[in-house]
Amino acid sequence: MNALPRKVLLLLVFISIGGTATAGDAGQARKLLENMTTAMSQLTYQGTFVYVRDGAVETMRITHIADDSGIRERLYSVSGPYREVIRDRQGVRCVLKDSGSVVEDRVVASNYFPELPLSVIDDNATGYRLETGGRARIAGHIARRVSISPEDNYRYGYDFWLEEKTGLLLKWVLFDRGRKPLATLVFTDLVLGSAIDPDEIESNSRAEDFVEMKTFSLENTVVRQSSPRWQPANLPPGFELASHNRKSGSDGVYEHMVYSDGLAAVSVYVEQQAAGKVIKSGVSQLGTNNAYIRKQGDLQITVIGEVPAITVKTIANEMARVVAAN
Amino acid sequence: MSKESLEHLSSLMDGELSRETSLFLTRRLASDDAMCDTWERYHLIRDCIRQPGSKQLVTGLCVQLMDDEEAHAHTLHAHTPWAQSRWLKPVSGLAIAASVALMAIIVTVPQQGTLTGSTADTALSTPANQPFVSPNTLPVSPRSQAASFSAAQQSNSNNRLNAYLLRHNQMARTAGRQGFVSFVPIVATPIIAAADPAELESQRVESDAEQEVTDNQ
Repeated sequence: MNALPRKVLLLLVFISIGGTATAGDAGQARKLLENMTTAMSQLTYQGTFVYVRDGAVETMRITHIADDSGIRERLYSVSGPYREVIRDRQGVRCVLKDSGSVVEDRVVASNYFPELPLSVIDDNATGYRLETGGRARIAGHIARRVSISPEDNYRYGYDFWLEEKTGLLLKWVLFDRGRKPLATLVFTDLVLGSAIDPDEIESNSRAEDFVEMKTFSLENTVVRQSSPRWQPANLPPGFELASHNRKSGSDGVYEHMVYSDGLAAVSVYVEQQAAGKVIKSGVSQLGTNNAYIRKQGDLQITVIGEVPAITVKTIANEMARVVAAN
Repeated sequence: MSKESLEHLSSLMDGELSRETSLFLTRRLASDDAMCDTWERYHLIRDCIRQPGSKQLVTGLCVQLMDDEEAHAHTLHAHTPWAQSRWLKPVSGLAIAASVALMAIIVTVPQQGTLTGSTADTALSTPANQPFVSPNTLPVSPRSQAASFSAAQQSNSNNRLNAYLLRHNQMARTAGRQGFVSFVPIVATPIIAAADPAELESQRVESDAEQEVTDNQ
C-alpha cells in the first residue's frame, strides 16, 4: 500500500472514531441527565444554595423528602422577602409574604401526565447539543458537568454539575445561545438521606395570615383530555404537543396545552376573558421565565415557559381556533 | 435624497460603514439639511420602537453638529494667523468629523435588552417548518418597559403569572426537568416586568381590527 491511500485510511479511521466519541458523549450526557431527573425526585436531601440573576444574589433553602408518605418538598428564601413553595401529594402552594397572599394549585399532574422520555432529545431532531465536561468540587461533593447547548434562539442552554455518585444537581447555569449566563444556582451545603433535619419540611406560615388568591379559572379545575380546539399554525422547530386539558363551564372556556422539545416546555392557556379584567398584553418576565399575553376577541391567550421571549411570542401569535372537519 | 444616500445613512446607524465612508457621511451630515432631517427621523423611529420617550437623545444632534462647525469656522476666522495656516483646516475638519463619528457611535450603539422591531418581525414571520435563521441581534430576554399600572394591579398580575407558572411546572413534566429549580423563580422574584405599553397599544389596535372583522362577518 503506498503512502497516499494509507493517509486517507488513517483519516477515515480518525473521523470514524471522532464521530463515535461524539455520539458516545451525547449518550453519556443523556444517561447522566436521566439519573439527575430520578435523583432530584426520589432522593432525600436538604441544602442551602445561592441563586444569581441580573446581578442579584439570593439565598434559599430546600428540603426534599421522599419516603413512604410520598414526596414532600419545601423551598423558601433565606434572604429578602419571605417567600415559600411547598409541594406535596395535595399539589403546590406558594406563600408570598411580601404581598400577603397565597397561590395554590391543587392539581397533581403525575396522575395523568407522563414524563417525556429523554430519548426525544435527539441530536438530529431538536435544537440541542449534549456533551459531558470536566469535574469540579461543589459544596464538598465531586460533580461532573453536563452541557446542553441550544442551536437556535428558540431555547436556552444549561450547564449541570451533577453529584458523581447520586446524580443530584449541585450547580445549574442557564445561558442563551451565545453562552451568556442568565441565571446561576449553586449549592453551598448539601446533606443527603438521614442526615437531614425533617422538621424543616414544616412551614412556619399560618394560612390565616394570608389571602388565598382566587383570581382566575385555574383554581380547582377539573380537567379532562380531549382534542385541542386551539392549535398553533406553526411551532418552533422541535416543539410538539405534549399535553392538553380542557375545561368548559359556566365561567367560560379554559384550555391548557403544553408544548415541549423534550427539554424545554411551554404552556399555552386559552381562557375566556374575565369580565371587567384589564388584560396587560405583551411580554412579561417571571425570573427566567418569559410570558406573553394577548387578547383575541373575548379570549385571553397566555404563553409561559423558561424559553426566550421570541418563543412565547411566536407561539402565542400562531395560535388559532381549530376548524372542525366536515 | 438618493436611495444610495439613504442606504448609506442606514448603514451608518448600524455601524456597518468603513471608517472613511463614515467620516465622509458625517461631514456631509453637518451641511446637508435634508440628510440631517432623515438622520434624526431614523433615530426617532428606532428609539420610539426601542424606548418611548428617548427622542431627546437624538433630536438636535444635527443642529449641534452644525453649530459646532460654525463655531469652529468662526473661531478660525477670528484668529487670522491661525486661519491662514494651511494645515489647520483639514486637521480641524478631521477632528470635527471624528467627534461627530464618536457621537454617532454613542447614539447608535444598540442597547442590550431592547427589542428592535425589524429583527423581531423577521423572526416572527419565519415559518417554523423551515430552518430557523436566528436573528443575531435578538435580545436575550427583552425586558418590557416600566409599568404604567398601579401597585395593586401589578401585584394581582404577578399573582396571576405565579399561578400560571405553578400549573405549568406541575404539568410540564418533561425529561430533564430539574425538580425544585423550576420553582426557584417564584421564590426569588418579587417583581415581574410589566407589559410593554407599546405592545399594549398594538394589541388594542389588533383587537379592534379583529372585532371589526368579526362584526363584518
